[in-house]
Amino acid sequence: MQKQGKKSISGATWVSLCLIVLVYVLVFIAEQVLPPTSMLFTVLKKGATYALIAVSMNLLNGFTGIFSLGQAGFMLIGAYVYAVFTIPLSQRMSVYQYYDGGIVQFTLPIFVAMILAGLVAAFFAFLIGLPVLRLKSDYLAIATLGFAEIVRAVFQWDKLGPLTNGSNMLRMFPNFNNFNLTDAEGHVTVYLSTLIPFLISGVCIALIVLLIHSGYGRALQAIRDDEIAAEAMGINLFHHKELSFCISSFFAGVGGAMLAMYQTTVQAKSFTSAMTYEILLIVVIGGIGSVTGSVISSFLFVACSEWWLRFLDEKQMIGTFEVPLLRNGFRLVVFSVVIMIVVLFFRRGIMGTKELPDLFRKRKGART
Amino acid sequence: MKEPVLEIRHLTMQFGGVVAVNDLNMHIDEGEIVALIGPNGAGKTTAFNCVTSVYEPTNGAVIFRGMPIARNHPSGRMRKFYAGKEIDAFSGHVVHNTPDKITELGIARTFQNIRLFKGMTAFENVLTAMHLRRRSNVFTQMLHLNGQEEAAMRKETDRLLEIVGLTDVKDEMATSLPYGKQRLLEIARALATKPALLLLDEPAAGMNPQETEELSAFIRRIKEQFSLTVLVIEHHMNLVMDISDRIYVIDFGKLIAEGTPEEIQQNPAVIEAYLGGDVD
Ligand SMILES: Nc1ncnc2c1ncn2[C@@H]1O[C@H](COP(=O)(O)OP(=O)(O)OP(=O)(O)O)[C@@H](O)[C@H]1O
Ligand SMILES: [Mg+2]
Repeated sequence: MQKQGKKSISGATWVSLCLIVLVYVLVFIAEQVLPPTSMLFTVLKKGATYALIAVSMNLLNGFTGIFSLGQAGFMLIGAYVYAVFTIPLSQRMSVYQYYDGGIVQFTLPIFVAMILAGLVAAFFAFLIGLPVLRLKSDYLAIATLGFAEIVRAVFQWDKLGPLTNGSNMLRMFPNFNNFNLTDAEGHVTVYLSTLIPFLISGVCIALIVLLIHSGYGRALQAIRDDEIAAEAMGINLFHHKELSFCISSFFAGVGGAMLAMYQTTVQAKSFTSAMTYEILLIVVIGGIGSVTGSVISSFLFVACSEWWLRFLDEKQMIGTFEVPLLRNGFRLVVFSVVIMIVVLFFRRGIMGTKELPDLFRKRKGART
Repeated sequence: MKEPVLEIRHLTMQFGGVVAVNDLNMHIDEGEIVALIGPNGAGKTTAFNCVTSVYEPTNGAVIFRGMPIARNHPSGRMRKFYAGKEIDAFSGHVVHNTPDKITELGIARTFQNIRLFKGMTAFENVLTAMHLRRRSNVFTQMLHLNGQEEAAMRKETDRLLEIVGLTDVKDEMATSLPYGKQRLLEIARALATKPALLLLDEPAAGMNPQETEELSAFIRRIKEQFSLTVLVIEHHMNLVMDISDRIYVIDFGKLIAEGTPEEIQQNPAVIEAYLGGDVD
């Protein structure tokens, strides 16, 4: 019998950690040897970004049991905060060409701007949570959905142009390629443009996992399992839900900043609720209540939508025979069908509520 | 004279037209084991829910160690529909708490319809209930810098599980345990919040005869060990008569008798309420 009272890192956890390190090493090596234009890196960068956002959503939906649909809104806030504060001074005149270079006339270091992106997103979450989470958290989904739409409109409002550049895009801010090390002539010596987003995302997800495995994490799971019992055990529902919501939104904001870097440009109108549904699908496909599932499904989802199913959108000829159906938009049809199949037949998602170390453990029954 | 641990004054709880608890007066002194009995639907669980602030009483007050923890009077629309007594006795300030605050003050409870955390093992269920006694904040916990506190709490959890005799099943999912053990686990979980007053809602329901037999000794033992005062709702008359210092009987929300087990057994109103039934 394994003694659980004493906390020690089990063998399965070590295997998982080694596996994760191995992935990072492989990413680093791949980046040095493969051409940087390879589709693989697009998928890895966007996948890492989505993984963080999906895990942040899972913290709320899967581990606290409250449902938010505001992910796109918090990502938008994160993306804008990051972009606004990192566009180099010399470029501001051209970016904010209709607004005399904008009102922000200083720049922050990349990582400071990313943290600020998270903090501002968390602050808005705090404000929404104050009225909504105090009474019925059932309304959170609607409130956050509305919030995301409002944010999207407000950020395009031309009165705010000096700050947000109105409906024009923000660009020229540092992106993932700025992480590459270059020599004096500007040639890249070491490619880090995929590894760094992996590291950022990895650190953030590790923090969320640590939170889940702390006393607070257990309190959140108690709320998910039974609100009335949790409250009777002295867990203040409002404080803990608000905390979870703010932390989740903080990481969604950081994820938004990463998305801005990935896209190299930011425009409010692209942060639609469809983006939130994408994230929600990733969480469901991965397994609600599994961090590992969210991460794996992020990469699969991004790979399918950006890469593996692309051919469906192009005319394909086999000899002189033109394959029917393959035209622009067909990819989305196939994609939807795949998702429907997953949701219908693999309801618990890829991982259910299992995590990576569980895969290396003997079956559950053997634990007791 | 010492003040009672818990005092319930003219407590009335009305749901729409249904008066579930009607002008209930009770007091429980330090170190007592008091039983609250009555036929099905008499309002026992509702009284518990008013004490623990799950419900806001319609009228009356609940006082814990001299401090009002709930106090209300019918107001607004309820004033028109109010069917209880003492409508003006509690006008003035209203006291309303949330259940977590009540637990923090030192009142813990178990549930009639078992409410364990189903995604957790027995061990985690108890450990989670210690959350409110933590001193570390969310950041030190996220970075796992509270190792000492965590270790102490895990040790305490092991101790509690040993006291209720669930050490051998502590890593099993709580909801996979047999009913009797789930009831014991709920008690362990309640003890983990470090209460002064323990409220047990039908602890013997679902237990087999042997477990029920052992329960009275068990309740007495934890009462001594944790210096508790206990209020218990129970249908098993043998158990009630065995452990209680005093008994309150309610029917249709109203108090119909109170006294020692001997007095209650002789009381005609009680025998009537139980249809000349199983008070033996
Ligand atoms: N939330 C509620 N809304 C409306 N009516 C309620 C509510 N809770 C309880 N009641 C009613 O109050 C009355 C008392 O219920 P309660 O659960 O307190 O009885 P009880 O004495 O615990 O019975 P049992 O022995 O069956 O557990 C019942 O008639 C019940 O229908
Ligand atoms: Mg009841």
